[in-house]
Amino acid sequence: MNKEKRHFSAGYALICGIVLLFTFICLYPFLYVIAMSFSSTNAVLSGKVRIFPIEFQINAYQEILKKKQIWSSMWVTIKVTLAGTLLSLVLTIAAAYVLSKKKLKGRKILSSFILFTMYFGGGMIPTFLVVKNLGLYNSLGALFIPNAISVFNFIVMRTFFREIPESLEEAAYLDGANDFQILIRIVLPLSLPIIATIGLFYAVGYWNDYFSALLYIQDPNKYSLQLRLRSLLFTEELNSTSSEAVGTPVMAESLKMASIVVGTLPIIAIYPWLQKYFVKGAMLGSVKG
Amino acid sequence: MRNRKGNMIKNDPERKVVSRKDGKKFLFYLRKDLMLYLFLIPVILYYVLFKYWPMYGLTIAFKDYNVFKGITGSAWNGLTNWVTTFSNQWLWKSIRNTLGLNLITLAVEFPLTIILSLMLNEIRHVKFKKITQSILYLPHFVSWVVVAGIVRGIFAQEGGAINGLLNQAGISSVPFMSNNGWWIFTYVVSNVWKGIGWGTIIYLAALTSVDESLYEAAYIDGATKFQRTIYITIPMIKPVMVTMLILSVSKMMNIGLDAPLLLGNNKVMEVSQVISTYIYRLGIEKAQYSVSTVIGLFQSVVNIIILLAADFVAKLIGEEGIL
Repeated sequence: MNKEKRHFSAGYALICGIVLLFTFICLYPFLYVIAMSFSSTNAVLSGKVRIFPIEFQINAYQEILKKKQIWSSMWVTIKVTLAGTLLSLVLTIAAAYVLSKKKLKGRKILSSFILFTMYFGGGMIPTFLVVKNLGLYNSLGALFIPNAISVFNFIVMRTFFREIPESLEEAAYLDGANDFQILIRIVLPLSLPIIATIGLFYAVGYWNDYFSALLYIQDPNKYSLQLRLRSLLFTEELNSTSSEAVGTPVMAESLKMASIVVGTLPIIAIYPWLQKYFVKGAMLGSVKG
Repeated sequence: MRNRKGNMIKNDPERKVVSRKDGKKFLFYLRKDLMLYLFLIPVILYYVLFKYWPMYGLTIAFKDYNVFKGITGSAWNGLTNWVTTFSNQWLWKSIRNTLGLNLITLAVEFPLTIILSLMLNEIRHVKFKKITQSILYLPHFVSWVVVAGIVRGIFAQEGGAINGLLNQAGISSVPFMSNNGWWIFTYVVSNVWKGIGWGTIIYLAALTSVDESLYEAAYIDGATKFQRTIYITIPMIKPVMVTMLILSVSKMMNIGLDAPLLLGNNKVMEVSQVISTYIYRLGIEKAQYSVSTVIGLFQSVVNIIILLAADFVAKLIGEEGIL
């Protein structure tokens, strides 16, 4: 630690300063949103809020608690995130495990079958028609089944599985274990970090996804959280539905900011775990499969 | 052996018979791999249903799609949809905007990401570095809906933080969201804000693999910090830079739908309408399935051509291909 403080040149200070500036720019919008959500109507009206709340109050949050739409949407998103992450992980692990076997016949063709979809696809409209044909339209399944596997995550996981020493698996074969047992008892326990990484990637993806809901969900009772936020933030829905006491547009502004906070909080909450794993995941992905 | 058989009986009684007759290596592997192929069935099913079936659905680009007749039953109509598509000025505008927004974003984000990576790499205070990196990566994980909500708040013409500051300094409000030029500015800023920290990861990884002894040798030879950066660091990470640049260029015709759709509004439609939002508005909102499929197919084909060209160029200049 002492070694690192060897010398403080002007150049080094400048670099630290610029990095600090970048960091502040990245952080500022979050601070602004939080400050707005805790500020009084007057302060928001006069546009005085910069970084810290002015005339601190929690009215916006009390109001949010009463918004049933937000909480029902959050419940939808929680269900979709859990089910989607589970399905995505199972499918990705199955594909990656099988196709990581160098001895498997037809491995190359099967891999190309998957990788091809990275470069070419039916696109938005044909996929939409297929999902409709399958009867998934307006069901929660449409929010996670059509995008269950990400090719990128498949490549990352396959790369990881390939690095597991073959000798471990061979020893288990000799002891009479089958592939399923080997996957469950040997491969998966060794792969917990990568499973955590990719599971978190999927979970964040499902949590943040609004476009699937925009495409496939018609019934407002089944809106996902992000789609609900979109309609609250951008179409003044909050204005028309809020109670008379807080019916002014400015109150709606801090309500909007409070709903942003509520919708992003879960991401921020898992961020420390996310961060622990994602750098490694991002690196593995850049090593081409 | 008994142990092995025991497991097999439990998991697959039918194939046990074969194994007993001649427990040769070949059958051992066949049986073993059969289970692997079984694992793959749901995966294949997924790809057939949600990726390859839609590819077949692309045929409606050449059909007069009828909701009741479905993809197969609709009648062929040759290039009628293509003529309709390409005679609409919005197609050309959305292509122009897609390329334009991508190029401007790349021109700003690409150098800034490298500069930020180089600076982060210089920082020797571990704690300071860790905290700044944590904050820099954060925007990547925030949804576009939320980002757009924040951007609309901060850049609002009335009551927005930035215009508030400008007004304080005696400058009149800037129409960040409603003027074409300023909207492009806002779009680029939002994209760079969301992507720059995440973008540094790959460069930082490349930077840590630079051989330390090169710096020491240069230091002994009297090279300044700046010279070492110019003559050692940058050449060492050049391959990563080139690969990233080629990758970005190969995605020029692709644009995420989130940012243009969520940041855009009717006032700036001239510059915010991109290919993906055009497909969405035409296909989903107006139910013009065939015409919007034409656009999607056209985009995919152009994408593949650009990708192959980029791969060719990459190999031509001696870099690793991207395919």
